[in-house]
Amino acid sequence: MSALAVAAAALQVVGVLAGAPLVVGGMRQVRARLEGRAGGGIGQPWRDLRKQLRKQQITPRGTTVVFALAPAVVAGSTLLIAAIVPLIALGSPLESVADLFGVVGLLFLGTVALTLAGIDTGTAFGGMGSSREITIAALVEPTILLAVFALSVPGESANLAAIVSATENHPEQLVSPGSLLAFVALGIVIIAETGRLPVDNPSTHLELTMIHEAMILEYAGPKLALVEWASGMRLTVLLGLVANLFMPWGIAGADPSLLAVLIGLASITAKVVVLAGLLAAGEVFIAKLRLFRVPELLAGSFLLALLAVTASYFLGTPTS
Amino acid sequence: MNTLLLLPILAPLAAAAFAATVGWRRLSAFVTVLAAGSVLMTAAALGSQIGSGARYGVGHLLRADALTVTMLIVIGTVGTLATWASVGYINAELAHGHTNQRGANLYGVLVPIFLAAMSLAVLANNIGLMWVAIEATTVATAFLVGHRRTRAALEATWKYVVICSVGIALAFLGTVLLYFASLHAGASSGTALNIDVLLAHASQLDPSVTHLAAGLLLLGYGAKAGLVPFHTWLADAHSQSPAPVSALMSGVLLSVAFSALLRVKSVVDLALGTGFLRAGLLIVGLLTLLIAASLLVVQTDFKRMLAYSSMENMGLVAVAAAAGTKLAIAALLLHVLAHGMGKTLVFLAAGQLQAAHDSTAIRDITGVLARSRLIGGAFVVGLAVLLGLPPFAMFASELSISRALAGAHLEWALGAALLLVVISFAALVRNGSRMLLGPPDPGAPTIAVPRSVAGALVTGVTLSVALGLTAGPLTELFRTAATMLGATP
Amino acid sequence: MTQATYTGVLDLAAGAFLLAAVLVVWRRELRALVRMLAWQGAALATIPLTVGIYQADAALIVVGVVVLLLRAVVLPLLLARAVGTEDHERRESTPLVNTTTSLLITAGLTVLAYAVTRPIIALDPSPATRAVPAAFAVILIAVFVMVSRRRALSQAVGFMMLDNGIAATAFLITSGVPLIVELGASLDVLFAVLVLGLLTGQMRRTFGGTDLDQLRELRD
Repeated sequence: MSALAVAAAALQVVGVLAGAPLVVGGMRQVRARLEGRAGGGIGQPWRDLRKQLRKQQITPRGTTVVFALAPAVVAGSTLLIAAIVPLIALGSPLESVADLFGVVGLLFLGTVALTLAGIDTGTAFGGMGSSREITIAALVEPTILLAVFALSVPGESANLAAIVSATENHPEQLVSPGSLLAFVALGIVIIAETGRLPVDNPSTHLELTMIHEAMILEYAGPKLALVEWASGMRLTVLLGLVANLFMPWGIAGADPSLLAVLIGLASITAKVVVLAGLLAAGEVFIAKLRLFRVPELLAGSFLLALLAVTASYFLGTPTS
Repeated sequence: MNTLLLLPILAPLAAAAFAATVGWRRLSAFVTVLAAGSVLMTAAALGSQIGSGARYGVGHLLRADALTVTMLIVIGTVGTLATWASVGYINAELAHGHTNQRGANLYGVLVPIFLAAMSLAVLANNIGLMWVAIEATTVATAFLVGHRRTRAALEATWKYVVICSVGIALAFLGTVLLYFASLHAGASSGTALNIDVLLAHASQLDPSVTHLAAGLLLLGYGAKAGLVPFHTWLADAHSQSPAPVSALMSGVLLSVAFSALLRVKSVVDLALGTGFLRAGLLIVGLLTLLIAASLLVVQTDFKRMLAYSSMENMGLVAVAAAAGTKLAIAALLLHVLAHGMGKTLVFLAAGQLQAAHDSTAIRDITGVLARSRLIGGAFVVGLAVLLGLPPFAMFASELSISRALAGAHLEWALGAALLLVVISFAALVRNGSRMLLGPPDPGAPTIAVPRSVAGALVTGVTLSVALGLTAGPLTELFRTAATMLGATP
Repeated sequence: MTQATYTGVLDLAAGAFLLAAVLVVWRRELRALVRMLAWQGAALATIPLTVGIYQADAALIVVGVVVLLLRAVVLPLLLARAVGTEDHERRESTPLVNTTTSLLITAGLTVLAYAVTRPIIALDPSPATRAVPAAFAVILIAVFVMVSRRRALSQAVGFMMLDNGIAATAFLITSGVPLIVELGASLDVLFAVLVLGLLTGQMRRTFGGTDLDQLRELRD
């Protein structure tokens, strides 16, 4: 374990922390420009966070420790994911635990913490948002598992670094039905997991249509800042993970040089920027799905992920 | 020799072409009757020539053996009677405005095509070609079923086309799998579906793939033969078709589809032993009997009643095929022939009753025997044939099937089948006597009988009685067919 | 064509073939269903074309071209003509099984297809045969579409998918059935679809719609 590998992992965490608000700001800016508005600028989410963090801490009456701890749990679990998934370099110090089950577990941990917090407030909208979120999560989590499992078949390992390096060495596997189906399935569930259109509208002000926003309606000040920041980080990390699973080029090896780390940083930044831009541009053209159509979309992506597993398991020609 | 094998296919096709050029006329209708008659003549000629062997034509695509001849006899006999009766039937429909000249023209073209497709199905040596022919019967009969273009006719047509097409598609999948197994057993790709090649390679067919194929073929051809689980089209289609078409579908088409199953069975039995298809045939046969018997009891529509009686008979035939002994197969073939004739009689008579009353409800029909000796008499004879009363042939065939079942140690199946046949018997007798016996309603309309229908009915009655008195050379033919199909002694 | 490219193209075609069936389950708009069917036909035609080029079999290439014309162009066009012009006719009415459940059932059917086809793969584990579960899955999905949809046209689409699935099975496991059978079968399918199209038209004239729930006159 070289010092540089540790540094790369640290850089990864710092990069996600610092970059997440910029990703969110960039996406809002792309949407604004495409819709013909001036937009608040890429730095606006950072300015919002700074303002929120300076505010006084207010906790609604009657809420318990669940409400108080949830933002920290969400942010912490997301940071942990940021530390273990291979974004800049493959040889993270936590590589041995960086398997897909761990990542999905951590994601779900954050989701559950927030839904419990939503219920804990005892308000109508909080409970409604929580119930909706958990409905979606129940279909999203198995889909992510299946999709990444499909990707893990060619590399014969569920370890994320192993999957990424297998794809890097055998890029032709990407054009197999298994990989393509898994890509589509992962794309859909990441949109759902991060509360983007058409599943959830992140900029809605109408409580009845909210999912994610409804759960966090009661948060204010530093806690709200933490939650917002964490959700930005989730988006960034997942975009980065998808980018590296399907386009691993540029990522630094297990024992990287300084140059490789820098190239890794530049390439993952470029990939996330491109993906985020595409996502934001796509959102301009679609409307939010009615809530009861959302399970259809997610069941569809679950089916695609299952097909991906069967395809890569039964059709796949072992390359090694 | 090729010409003789091609005649049963080409003669009806020529009649269809003629009908297409000149439209529906007395002349074109009688040309069709001639074509159907030539099928019967060919059967006789072939029967006297082939003996116990098989004869091939058109590069081994066609084949004639004892089973072919038997089925051609069924097609020829029922075809001749039905097309003969069509002349008067369609003219009456035209006169009553149930159809128009275009509908009649279509009828005149489609019926001979239907006959040609059935002839091809029984003459094919290639089971792929056999499948093509049987699917072609579905397409050809679609607009015959919907001939009257009423709501009910349209509904029946849709169900018929969809259910039969799906069922028969499964049979094609089975055929493909059998082809796959046959290729891997060493057959060459051009001939791997030929019956003689399949029989020669049967012992090397992969058992698990053949299991899959046999199951699909049983379901698929079973659909066309009116067996469970794809039987639901049968009553609808039979009750809405014009009477001669009902006779053809019930009396011939079902048994042609079943003969396809017999062909498949001879191959599968060699590959897997008799156990697999015996179990399958017993299950579908007894279930078909059960459904037919229970629906016969509650039936209020006489054409549907006749349709369920066809299902009952096909169920019985399936059970007989399950027994698989020489006696059972020979009896089955006699049963099929006798059933074809009996069904023709009752359907043709029922067609005239429907035309007179404009209804197919049993309660609307009273005292038929008192009102029309001919229709009533034909109905009585037809029912007696179907009920298996002596001296008609189904008495002998049902007796032989029972003996064969007992001989094959399938006493439990025999018991179940007998019970269900007795229930059906009671239901048919009760409904039949309600329609036929007793005094007619005062306001009952007169039953008109066109000359051609009368001729067909009288001929049919004569033939049924003759077949009941002696099967003559046919007995030998059935025995040969049973031996050829690999029946156990 | 190398072995790897051949396998890759074949797998992609089988995947696209199955995906089209899944999308048919997913979508409700009748025109979209017909479009999916055309795509599926194209994916199906890719199979004999690929096998034909790989094995340098000219007859198979010709069959592939015929399949492409018939199943990707002619039959979808025939069905597209049967789609009604009125608004309520262009969408599937509420299906018997809601879309979410349908998709999950589809997932189950796919797994079933893998189980059923194991003896076939065991007999001949070639790259083409290993794609046969996809074709079987399409067959099962097609039957499911036929029993769960209530528009006449959806049933016709299901029937064609069933047929595509069987044709794909034939191409994958045996490089197609003998030519005369292939021709006869294609002709039968063409006529069957023609008949279904004509019946749909008659149904619309007689019933004022193509909802199969109206077919309930005949029963016991």
